[in-house]
Parts: sequence; structure tokens; C-alpha cells
Amino acid sequence: MRRIFAVLVLVVGAVSFAWAKTTVEFWHAMSGSRLRALEKIVADFNASHPDVEVRPVFTGTYEETLTKFIAAYRAGTAPHIVQVYEVGTQTMIDSGAILPVYQIPEILGETWDWGQYVRPILLYYSVDGNLWSLPFNSSTSMLYYNKDHFRQAGLDPNRPPTTWDEVEEYGRKLIEAGVVKNVISFGWPDWQFEQQLAIHNYLYADNENGRSGLATRVMWPDEFSVKVFETWTRLAQEGILIYAGVEYDPNAAFTSGAISMLLQSTSSLDGIMKTAKFEVGTSFLPRFPGEPRGNSVVGGGSLWVRKGLSQTELRAVWEFFKYLGQPDVDIYWHKNTGYFPATNAALKQLMDERWFAQSPNHLTAFLQILSGRQDSAAALGVRLGPFVEIRDYIRTAMEKAFSGALSPAAALAEAAEKANAALLEYRLALGK
Amino acid sequence: MESKFPGYRLLPYFLVFPSIAVILVFLVVPFVQAVIQSFYQTSPFGGVSTFVGIRQYRLLFSAPDYARSFLATWYFALLVILGGLALSLFLAVLVTRKVRGLAFYQVAFIWTYALSPAVAGIIWALLFDPAVGLGTYVIQRLTGFSMNFTIQGSSALLLVAGASIWNMLGYNVCFYIAGLQNVPRELEEAARVDGAGPWRTFWRITFPMLSPTTAFLVFVNTIYAFFQVFGLIDIMTKGGPGGATEILVYKLYRDAFIRVRYNYASAQSVVLFLIVAATALFQLWISTRRAVYLR
Amino acid sequence: MKKQTLYAAGLHTTLALILLGVAFPVYFAFVIATHTYEDAYAFPPKLLPGGQLWTNVSEAWTRTNMGRLMLNSSLVALAVSLGKIVLSILAAFAFTHFRFRGRVLLFPMCMVTQMLPLPVRIVPAYQLMASFRWLNTYYALIIPYLASTTGILLFRQFFLTVPDELPDAARVDGAGPLRYLWSVLVPLSKTNIAALFVIEFVYMWNEYLWPLLVTTNPTLRVAQIGLKMLLTTERTVAEWNVIMAGTILVMLPPLVVLILMRRQFAQGIAMQSTK
Repeated sequence: MRRIFAVLVLVVGAVSFAWAKTTVEFWHAMSGSRLRALEKIVADFNASHPDVEVRPVFTGTYEETLTKFIAAYRAGTAPHIVQVYEVGTQTMIDSGAILPVYQIPEILGETWDWGQYVRPILLYYSVDGNLWSLPFNSSTSMLYYNKDHFRQAGLDPNRPPTTWDEVEEYGRKLIEAGVVKNVISFGWPDWQFEQQLAIHNYLYADNENGRSGLATRVMWPDEFSVKVFETWTRLAQEGILIYAGVEYDPNAAFTSGAISMLLQSTSSLDGIMKTAKFEVGTSFLPRFPGEPRGNSVVGGGSLWVRKGLSQTELRAVWEFFKYLGQPDVDIYWHKNTGYFPATNAALKQLMDERWFAQSPNHLTAFLQILSGRQDSAAALGVRLGPFVEIRDYIRTAMEKAFSGALSPAAALAEAAEKANAALLEYRLALGK
Repeated sequence: MESKFPGYRLLPYFLVFPSIAVILVFLVVPFVQAVIQSFYQTSPFGGVSTFVGIRQYRLLFSAPDYARSFLATWYFALLVILGGLALSLFLAVLVTRKVRGLAFYQVAFIWTYALSPAVAGIIWALLFDPAVGLGTYVIQRLTGFSMNFTIQGSSALLLVAGASIWNMLGYNVCFYIAGLQNVPRELEEAARVDGAGPWRTFWRITFPMLSPTTAFLVFVNTIYAFFQVFGLIDIMTKGGPGGATEILVYKLYRDAFIRVRYNYASAQSVVLFLIVAATALFQLWISTRRAVYLR
Repeated sequence: MKKQTLYAAGLHTTLALILLGVAFPVYFAFVIATHTYEDAYAFPPKLLPGGQLWTNVSEAWTRTNMGRLMLNSSLVALAVSLGKIVLSILAAFAFTHFRFRGRVLLFPMCMVTQMLPLPVRIVPAYQLMASFRWLNTYYALIIPYLASTTGILLFRQFFLTVPDELPDAARVDGAGPLRYLWSVLVPLSKTNIAALFVIEFVYMWNEYLWPLLVTTNPTLRVAQIGLKMLLTTERTVAEWNVIMAGTILVMLPPLVVLILMRRQFAQGIAMQSTK
């Protein structure tokens, strides 16, 4: 009798031990093919780590995910890990709801080399040199162009425009040759404005782009930003630049051959190359000659860890993060989505495999960001609390300038006033 | 009245309880919270909460974006209400001129009620798509104007209004048909005997008799234009271009859930409430006034 | 005599033309749904159907997992309609057959519901769902909708027309109020129940803002949001043929319900307009 009882206890104990998995809930905004890639990575992790189960939950767009996270946090029902877009970085830092990632190894008594992550990405998500969120899906913007169109207009398909003057010159040739009616469009137009400031090493906001303290005002309209707006307005009025909507809307115009050039995120590369029926070329973003050099800004998202996790949960999260940093996993993610590999080891492996030789377009954005400065706040990109709002204001300013409703300088000034008000509101809300 | 089942003193309370509970928990309490929240400034994650009095309201009424949204909403609502009701009334009058086939026409018009604002929006977005829309094509052939609602603000607003009027047409027509049927024939005939022409009969007799229906439809269409049209806007224009179609409810949604400014959004909620309450009371006043007049 | 028939003919023709005009957008949507991608982009646009309806429909179906979306919409619309009917009948019964202090609540309840549409309380309502842990569950989609003062008023109006002899007889027979409600009143109210059902089913199927907020998990989204998902493909041009195929799918169920139950719906309208 006793023996049976002992055996029973052992069996029950073993079973419940096996079932004592630590669940890690992970909210993300990856859809389409990115979702499939993510789910495979998670499934592989779960299979190789039987005591942990990461549950990925697709919670909508980046905005929806952040809103849900905020509401859930206030209600005490937030997940362990959440993916937030780069625009929400400052909000997350100020949230008081987050455990900065750099503290995790210390708490668990482990060591971790943060240098293994690609430097510009690392710096983007760091505060005072410490990493707050885990780099996961990073991208930047680059120039896409239609090589076939270039040939038709008598332009060298291997010499895309380097400066905005050349964009204008090439644009005129393309229109005169009857190849297209409009030449270039911008994906995420508000982001392209940020990119132009950053690649020329100009600050977007004070307090070192919001990195040494909360930004109190935006730096525009200053001489350079007005120059950007005036150039773009002139291009728009000549018909060279066409404002075709927000986010990814302009991709359609490019892939269908209605325009010849596109400024867009590198994360669209796969999609564009698959849909386009012409030879796609890529290059660095166009510059203004005679201006300083900075770097293009990192976009995409990163992974944040909620405060208040138990030791076991934290350990589980950390195992998952370490897994994501493994070169094979990193490479799989890059190849199936177009986002940058986040670790240097993955980068080396990709190079060894001659991946970039086979697919040079995948290298362009990466090269752009690695060849730029990494030591100035302007080159690292701006961090703003009310970022979404301010991007709205810039977009409106662009629409008004392009349609001629306001002069470029006036449009920028109007947007700046609203932006500064928003920054004030944000600080007030935090009691600062 | 006397209770039809005396002795069951507690039962009625149990019977109404579920309805009251839902209304309290999901309608009243959140509204009260919204009012309270509008007097505070809370950090997005709820950590810090400061009482700021009417600051949110002052910000709201001095924000040019809000003024623009306000104007766009009224302009849009006026188009939908006046345009929609005029058109529906005209159609209803046509239908009721004929005694035969009235029921058929009622059914023939009612089906548009089944279409959601989102469906109406997506169909009209197709019809007036700048590249392939039949409507765009027709307008171009007739007037030479290339309509592009993705970059022309006024086109966008007109289009959204058009889609809304189309969406509500069936509902409005059916109610006007029912209302017209309730107008006593004797009054109209008496007027005709007195020598009044059809136009005068309509304006002096029929239309006033329809005022409860009209008041009701004005209220319903106002609610539609202010709130239910959200799906249509989200599908067609997302408030663009440049905020031309960012009506109050859409701005509220963006401010609350995308720009994460909860308190500012709550102030907007309260303003919307005041508008709805005013309209509801106005409708009530009109109907009771009419009812008295009828007796 | 001739003048009258001419007049009648003219009237009918005008009305027929108007009806066709009103129906045209849907017809055009249908036509586009039957073409290939290239044909859908033909300019000037085509006016006659092609042969791709089934292909487009299956494409729209798989792309958004439309089956799941329609299932969710059906579930929610049914649950809310039935729930509203039950709650309204119970409350209307209480208000018309009993004398109790709560009777004064009827008018305020109605005013409150009319004056508090969703946007007026949307932020706290959303936060409430978060704290109940109801985000991404059917509860959030169903429970907040269950009270219906339209329904209460509808049934109240009807119950008031029932002659006193019936409840009196029931009482004499020793039946309790609930028994009376279930065996006598409810069967009598069939038309009203049907009217409320069709109104609420269509209304719930077409709800957009609340489902957009509270459900973001694809397995819980409703058909209306499926439309939005069809429009926002991250990569390519708007594929109108597939989008329209999806739209036709989403638009059918309430249309069918409305057409099947049109008489009851018309009665619902008639009752509402004689308030």
C-alpha cells in the first residue's frame, strides 16, 4: 500500500514538474510573412527549451499593440514581453512599467557582452550608454530605383542619383523622355524628413535630440530644415516629387512602374523585389552637397520587458533573448523579413556565405548605416514622447507646402508651434 | 395601475436588474469616469495623475486642429442631414403618390439599411478611386475635373457625405413613407378643395404634419453623421487628406488610441456628449410640441 | 383616363430608374469582384461581369481567414440579439405588470442610453475591458451591448395592448407571473421578437469601432474588420477585385436576414414611428 502511494506521489510529482513550464507571454505586431517567420523561431525555441513556453500573441498594428499594452498594464494584465515601434521608445522609457534590458544579466547573476549587437541599433535603444530594450526588427530607409526606366531615359542604371540636385536632373530627363509623369515618392514622408536631418548631422530637437533629457522644443524651422522643405516643395511643384500617401502606400506606385524612384524602408525590400517586374536597384539616400555627414536613422521595433517579473519568469525571458541573439536565428529572421541582423556574428556569417554578393540590395541599407557616424546625437536619431503627433504635424506641413497653401517656412513654423505644445503637454503629464 | 400579480414584490426588481446592471456598468460608470478624467492630466501608463481643472478644455478650444475638426463635422452633418432628408422625402412622396406597389417600394428601398457604413465606404472608395473609379471617369468626361479624394480635401468631404447619404437612404425613405401614410388624407383634400396647389399643400399641411418624423430622422441622422460613420471614414480616408475628413469622433479615436492622450480625448468625449444631449432634448421638445398641437 | 395611366407609368419608370441608381454601386462592386486584377484596373472601367468570381472569393477568404471572421460576427450578432430580446422582455414585463418603485427608472434609462453612445465613454470603457481581462474575448464583444431600451419600449408598447383578462385569468388559474410570461406573453410577442431580432442582428453585424478596439487577435476579429484587413496589404496595389469579393461576402448575411424578415422589420419601423 505504501509503495503504491509512493509511486503515485512520484508520478504526480514528475508530471507536475514537467507541466511546471514557465509561460512567457509575448505581444507583437508582426503580420503576414513576418508572422510566419516569428512563429517558427518561437516554436523552435519552445522545442529546445522544454521548461519554458513562449506564447506569441499578435496584437495588431504597432499602435494597437502599444495601446493594448498601456491599458493592460494599468489593469495589471500586461504580458512579459512586448514589441514596441521605435516611435514609442521615449514613452516606454518614461513609463515606469519597464525593466531595462541591461539590468537583466546582473539580476540573474550572468554576464553578457552587449558589444555583440550592431552598434547603431544598440545606441538607438540606449540611455546613457545602457541598453533598455532588445534590438529585434530594425530597418532604415534607402533609395529604390527602377533600372529599366533609367535605361529607357538614357541614364546609366548603375549610377543612381547621389544628391538632390541629381534627383532633380534625372527626374527632368525621365519626364522628358516620356518614361513617367512623376518620378519619386516617399514612403513614411515624416520619417524621410527625420532621415534628412540625421544624415546631415542636424539635430531634430533640443537636449541632444531628446537623448540627454526630455526634449522641450524642436529645432526647426532652421536654415537646413527650411532648405529641405523648399527643395521638396520645388520638386513637388515641378511634378518630379509626388506625395502618394503615408507609410507603405507609395510602394504600389513604384512596383507598378508609375514612378521611377522611391524612398522607403529596407523592410519593404523583399516585397518590392517579388512584385516588381523590372530590375530593382538600391542606393543610399540622396544628400545635399556641402552639408555635414551624419547617419540614417534606425526604424522598426524592439522588445521590452515588463517590470515585476519573478526570478523564474525573468530567467525564461532571458533564455529567449539569448536564443534570439544566436547567429542562425538572427540570420533566419533577416533572410525572411528584410530587417537587419541585430548581431555582428550574424553579419559575419552572412558575409561568409556570400549572401550579400548574391543579393546586393540587401546590403545597401546596412552599409549606409554602418558607414555613417555613430557618435553624435543628431546621427543617432531623435527620441520624442509625443512622437506620433509630431509626425502628423510634419505630414500636414508637407501637404500644405506642396499644395502651395503655405510657404515651406511657414508650414514648418506652424508645425513647430504645435510640436512644441505637444512636448510641453507630455512633460506636464509626467509631472516634470 | 395595480400590480397584475400582487404578492410578487421582489420579482420586478430581479427582472429589471440585468438591464440596469449593464447600463450602469458599461454606460453610466464609464461616462462618469470620462468626465472625471477630463479634469486631470495622467501619464500614459497611469503612474502620475494631476488635477488640472479645465486645462484640457482650454487646450481643446484653442487648438486649431479641433476647430477644423468641429467645422468639418458640422459641415459634413449638415450635408448628410439636409441632403439625405430632402432626397428621401422627395422619394417617399413619389412612392406614396401611387397607391399600388407601396409595399414593394418599401422593401425595394430598405435593403440599403443592411449595408454597414464600412461596406458603403469601401464601395464608394472603389467607385471614385482616382485611378479606376467609374465615378471618377464619368466626372472627368462630363466636367474635365480629375477628382482625387486622396489629395483633395473638399472632394474627400463631399465623397464621404455622398456615401453616407446613400447608406442612410433606405432607412430615411422607409420612415418618411410610414410618416406620410399617417398624414390624414382629409386635411390634404380639404386644402385642395380650398384651392391650394400641390406645392402649397405640401408645405403648409403635409410637411408640418411630418415634423415628428422629421425630428426623429434628424436625430437619427445626426447620430449617424457624428458617430456611426466612423467605419466609413476609417475605410475611405482615415481622416485625411490633411485632416479634411477628421470629424470629431475620428479625432477622438486618434487622440485617445494612437496619440495616447487619454485626458485630452476624454474632454472631447464630454463635448460630444453635450452635443448629443442637446440634440436629444431638442428632438424631444419638437415631438411633444407637435403631439400637443395634434390633439 | 389616359392622363392618369401616363402619370402612373411615368411615376413607376422614374422610381424604377431611381432604384436602379441606388443599387448601381453594389452592382459595380459585384462586377469588379468577377474580374481579374488587370481587368479590374481597366480604364474606362468594365461594366459587365467576368468569370473570376470564385477565384477572387477564395482568395479573399483565405487571405483574411474570412470563415473565422464571419463565424465571429455571427456568434456575436446572434448572442447579442437574443440577449437583448431576453433582457428587454424581462424588463418590459416588469414595467407593465407590476407596481414597484423602480418603475420611475424607465424614462431615465431610455434617456441615458440615447445620450451615451460609445464615443462619449470610449476611453474608460476600453480600460474597463482591460481590467476585466476581457480584451480579445467574446465577452467584450457581447456583454456591453446587452441592454436595449429600444427593445424595452417596443415590448412595453406591445404588452400594454394586451387586455387585462389574460393575466387575470392566469392568476385565477394559479399560474405565477413567470409562467404567464413564458406561456402566454412570449408566444403572443412573436412578431415583436422577430422585429427586434432583425434590427439588432443587422446592427451588431455592422458594428465597427468597438470590435476594432477590443479585439486585435485575428481569431477574434469580426467581418467588418476583415474589410479593413483586405484594404491594408503592406506591399501591393489595392487589389480591388479581391477586396470587392470580400466585401460581397461580408455584406451578404445582414442583407439576407433583412430580406427574409422584411415584413417584421417594416413592422418594427411602424411601431417606432408612432412613438
